[in-house]
Amino acid sequence: MKKWRILLATCMLAFVAACGNEEQVEFSDSFEAATESAKGSTVNLYMWGGDEGINSYIDDYVAPRLEESYEVELNRVAMDTAEFIRQLSLDQKADREVGTIDVVWINGDNFRNAKEAKLLRDGLMERIPNAKLLNETAQQSDAGTPTDDLELAWGNVQFILHYDAAKVDDPPESFEELRRWTEDNPGRFTYPEVTDFTGNAFVRHLLYERYGDELDKNATIEESFWDDLKVWSPNLWKEGQTYPKTLEQLDQLYASGDVWMTMGFNERRAEAEVKEGIFPKETRALVLDHSIASTHFLAIPFNAPNPDGALVLIQELLSPEAQLVKQGPDYWGDGTSLDLTKLDERDQQAFEELGDGVTYPDPEQLLERSIPDYGPDVIDTVREEWPRVAK
Amino acid sequence: MLRSSVALTILVSLLPLAALVFLGVESIGTDWRVLLSDETWRDSLFTTFYVVSVSTVLSLILGTWFARTVVKKGWHLTSTILKIPMFVPHIAAAYLFWLLFSGSGGIGWIEANERNYATVILTYIWKETPFVFLMMLGTYEQLNRSYVETAKTLQLSPLDQFKHGELPFLIKPLLDSTWILVAFISFAYEVPALLGVTYPKLLGVLAYERLSTGLYLEATEPYAVALVWTCLVGIGVFTTYFFTASVRRRIERGVRR
Repeated sequence: MKKWRILLATCMLAFVAACGNEEQVEFSDSFEAATESAKGSTVNLYMWGGDEGINSYIDDYVAPRLEESYEVELNRVAMDTAEFIRQLSLDQKADREVGTIDVVWINGDNFRNAKEAKLLRDGLMERIPNAKLLNETAQQSDAGTPTDDLELAWGNVQFILHYDAAKVDDPPESFEELRRWTEDNPGRFTYPEVTDFTGNAFVRHLLYERYGDELDKNATIEESFWDDLKVWSPNLWKEGQTYPKTLEQLDQLYASGDVWMTMGFNERRAEAEVKEGIFPKETRALVLDHSIASTHFLAIPFNAPNPDGALVLIQELLSPEAQLVKQGPDYWGDGTSLDLTKLDERDQQAFEELGDGVTYPDPEQLLERSIPDYGPDVIDTVREEWPRVAK
Repeated sequence: MLRSSVALTILVSLLPLAALVFLGVESIGTDWRVLLSDETWRDSLFTTFYVVSVSTVLSLILGTWFARTVVKKGWHLTSTILKIPMFVPHIAAAYLFWLLFSGSGGIGWIEANERNYATVILTYIWKETPFVFLMMLGTYEQLNRSYVETAKTLQLSPLDQFKHGELPFLIKPLLDSTWILVAFISFAYEVPALLGVTYPKLLGVLAYERLSTGLYLEATEPYAVALVWTCLVGIGVFTTYFFTASVRRRIERGVRR
């Protein structure tokens, strides 16, 4: 169980700390020097491991390329993000300057925690040549928290809904219509709890419908907003008595036909699920009034044992080739974090030629309706106040 | 030989103590008044109490009854079959019950993800009854039947026969099982996470949620709650063993005065 693991980790760390401290390993002076010193080393990438497509992108595509171009071995470690952030925090408390994690995949709450506790190295922009190609808007903020050069954008996606066209004849086109649709089809729609990343984002879309970007200045949400949600809930799955705990559970309900819509960040995420026969064949994209854009990032912990290897890995992950394959339908379908106008013509064309999947939304419409995310204050307020809806 | 046993004893008794110290340190900074008046935690505590007591009591009754019947009738095959659920991991058991009782598979009031937590309790009963069964089996196999025979000769009612001829011998294994189950079920995560509801959540699920969202590195409340619960269980263990000490000692010595 969790607390035992933490306890065990603490004991082990106390032991390690008692054995004497090593000095923090520094970056080499330039990227060229870093590639030299990283040769023959292993770099540990810690990331959430719940998606087969993502895992095989790293293991089958990135790892061999890294070995070939830089002679660096890639070791992917699957772990819940909150868990390795906690491990880093324990490392810090125990003054463990040489840890085990070189690169982390991170965003949202986890980044806020890591930033607040100073667990990440800064100055990544100047150390990694490909960082110049990044989309500046995406790079700027992480779910409303300024990135401050502590992490580099790895992928950029937008929030959309998916529905089963075999069951939904007349899909809603706005949040208001969605509400009316659930009145006609009670029990066929729900959203994850707001402790879930996606569930919280869904409620923020409803907030944006009412408040626009006003909430950024003043994160107070009126009673009536929550009352409306409460009034809506009897039309949802299980009459709103309970909500899926995670997006995975919502996807499962969608896959089994219990609900007819699902949602999530990444407009291309349903393609692989449909191909594998997990999602219904007739799954189609649904873009409502507006869609929050979300970026996820890569960062290097303060106690990375192989920081040069980490630089090399991030350089590789941000290369146009690796980003192209990541966005393609073969592995992941994750939107690129690069600014296409900064790429040379050949690369630009390759991205354009990636083509459309049947579950993709109209890219122009999606871009048009894209809105920036609210800051962490709104996310926290939603988390604190929403439970009254589920009571 | 002696030295290693002493070392082991010290180690085993130090670990829970270290856990308590750890929880205490981590919960520093908690505003106890806010915590105690927090409705979410309170509802969670009551629900946890309900789920834990119902699952534990029913598992104890069923497990004991099975052990008694199996030994009495000499059903060896049943004895083997009854142990099977012990080898199913809790997460798999939870998923099995989720498949059985969710969506169109639900029957009447037993449905997954309902506020009565019926499927959570069912999963625990299915998983823990074999454990109790195993604990009680040894006791029943070694039970001295002469006490029951005496009770029969004295023409006591079946209930009184059980009360005087069997129950005193069951106190120790029953107590052991009770507290193992209580400690285990009360802060477990997988089963209530999959089969539970959004509100109220069981303690383990709520604590994990608070430790993985928001500014979780600064969270102290979950540790405070774990500390309170650990103390409650600790007091429970201490009092029940304390008040049954004389009876248990008498049984162990085999002397009835």
